[in-house]
Amino acid sequence: MSATVSMLIAVGIFIGTYILIITEVINKMLASLIGAFLLILTGILSQDIALRAIDWNVIFFLIGMMLVIAVLRRTGIFMYIAIKTAKLARGNPLLIMMLMFVITAIASAFLGSVTTIMILIPIILLICNELKITPVPYIIMMVVASNMGGAATMIGDPPNIIIGSATDYDFLDFIFNLTPAIIFASIACLALMWFMYHDKLKVSRENRAKMLSYKEEGLIKNKRMLKISLIALAIMLVLLALESILKIGTATISMSTGLFLVLIGERKEIEQIMVHEVDWVTLFFFVGLFIIVEGLVQTGFISLLAHKVLDLTHNQARPTSMAILWLSGVLSAFIDNVPFVATMIPLIKQIGTVITEPNLIDPIWWAMSLGTCLGGNGTLIGASSNVVAVGIAKKNGLNISFKKFTKVSVVYTILSLIVCSAYILLRYF
Amino acid sequence: MLLADFLEPSTIVYEQRILTREQVYKDIINRIYQLRPDIEPKCGETLLESILEREKEAPMVYPSGIAIPHIRLEGLADTLIGMTFLQNPLNYDGIKADWIVMIFTDKTSSKIYLNIVSALLKISEDEEMMTQLRSFNNGIEVINYLRQCKIKVGQELSVADLMVKNPVCVTPDTLLSKVDSLMNEHNISCIPVVDNEGRYLGEISILDVLKVGMPDYLMMIDDVAFLRSYEPLESLFEKEELVCAEEIMQKNTRVLSSDASIVETVYHMIKDNKRYFCVVDKEYLVGIITAMDVFRKVIKA
Repeated sequence: MSATVSMLIAVGIFIGTYILIITEVINKMLASLIGAFLLILTGILSQDIALRAIDWNVIFFLIGMMLVIAVLRRTGIFMYIAIKTAKLARGNPLLIMMLMFVITAIASAFLGSVTTIMILIPIILLICNELKITPVPYIIMMVVASNMGGAATMIGDPPNIIIGSATDYDFLDFIFNLTPAIIFASIACLALMWFMYHDKLKVSRENRAKMLSYKEEGLIKNKRMLKISLIALAIMLVLLALESILKIGTATISMSTGLFLVLIGERKEIEQIMVHEVDWVTLFFFVGLFIIVEGLVQTGFISLLAHKVLDLTHNQARPTSMAILWLSGVLSAFIDNVPFVATMIPLIKQIGTVITEPNLIDPIWWAMSLGTCLGGNGTLIGASSNVVAVGIAKKNGLNISFKKFTKVSVVYTILSLIVCSAYILLRYF
Repeated sequence: MLLADFLEPSTIVYEQRILTREQVYKDIINRIYQLRPDIEPKCGETLLESILEREKEAPMVYPSGIAIPHIRLEGLADTLIGMTFLQNPLNYDGIKADWIVMIFTDKTSSKIYLNIVSALLKISEDEEMMTQLRSFNNGIEVINYLRQCKIKVGQELSVADLMVKNPVCVTPDTLLSKVDSLMNEHNISCIPVVDNEGRYLGEISILDVLKVGMPDYLMMIDDVAFLRSYEPLESLFEKEELVCAEEIMQKNTRVLSSDASIVETVYHMIKDNKRYFCVVDKEYLVGIITAMDVFRKVIKA
């Protein structure tokens, strides 16, 4: 088989799989695994190369985090914080929205956006129901916050986890480079939120009193386990920060923390946790994607594409990073951001062989990370947490249409991308 | 195996007098002792007491008018049957029984016992056979008739033998208020939903009713210990006139056919963690079987 034919088959399988993923004709894990093994069957990739393309560091890191979250969730700390926050806002609807935005962003930065949304959206539905106000703006704002928060750290959203694993950047690099951008973008979004909603939300005294009577003290059932979990989480973050010196491997750090917590707190529940709390469908979706993208790399398509991009930007880092930021933003608004990042990583690595100076290639990586994560807010289908949140709303008889969601979210997406553009231009060039 | 081969003429009696349950049982036990004088314990009184004690918990009486008390004996290694046809039925908490059949089995065997019960139940539900049996006046005639009818022991007990026939049911447009009052009135926790022709459509359990007051988001929250009161749950009754059966019924749940075996029933009850199943034959609802029916009639027997 000639190189061109191989490349065409690999691109064909890639496009076919992505169409299935976007349209969701079949389950996306099924689509990605079928695409992956089709590449092996057609001889584009040998099984050996295909299996080695799977980034086990990402897979085990995610499993470890899922174990940590499962144990942490059972301590009741998330519920406690959410209820406490609503009470701290004294039932003021705008304040609740802004505090929930902040909490969602922080939780997403360390635990991932989807988990955060799954825990917090039902609670905001309850609170809005008690306060007799519409939950729709709250849901949209929290989704926006979750995608922004997820962009702030290496362990937030899967795109960053994958970038962190594929490159030499460590936990602290992400904190130093991305977190400031997200803080600026969040402040801008909070300001816009105040502007949009400050005179729209009203709550009666009676309903406010009802919410203020919540007894959140009972939610923490096992204080000892909570303490152990929080200490373990803190140690995990310290180890991740020291990773460039320790060289343990991020997957090992998260797995050790997860296994330790399960051993201490939930060893009797381990089978339950492994089956229900570890999201195997997502993990195997990633496994398939790694193999499919490897098909593009091995057949030379990625390097072809990289040269085209560099031709267009005349090998200049500044226009390249801006192009990557906005292109990532627009594309990941329509494509699930993990498949997008999985494809972009080898592309930028290829660009890195031309633009070799570290201070010039760095902003390109950060631009892609920010673009991909923030672009997820662009439309209803941009990121998993959007789909999950709208799904929960729908189950409760609340229909948030594509248009209704996008009309609000796109404004925040553009605002945050503008802030990030300014950040990148001012800081790196 | 024929049922007739298990019977002895001397232990089959037709009784005209008005007797108490105790007297009827004592008479049967005495006849069995005459047949097998070697039975342990030697004293029939202990047996009588234990059987009456057990019946206080779960009388082995069936709506078709047959009562089947059961005695398990250590080392009996046989199955003995004594029966009395009564002119004046015994009253078991509202169910009248005029055919009392007492079965003695070995402690270890229960399969043959269940098969005999199944055969007896089939007879008791057959109007024609019962009329014939009541018209005789001695054991030989009974045995000959059953032999002639080729009543076999070995047909396994099925759902049809234990289920409640023609259970309380509702149509899809029945209001929740009606469902609630039926559950309350009949003291039941499940009501099948059928169309006007009696085809099974779904079922409503007591939890489906309560769930009307619990929105989905509340069910997605990890813990609701912080809520002391919750308006939608407390004002459930306001929705009683707005919600109808169709909206809250469970569709596509497992149903059993009336010829399903008891082991299959118990298997599904444990596996699905459900205490009742609707019994449906060719789309039509024919009954409902509960774990308590199985427990009382099979396990405690």
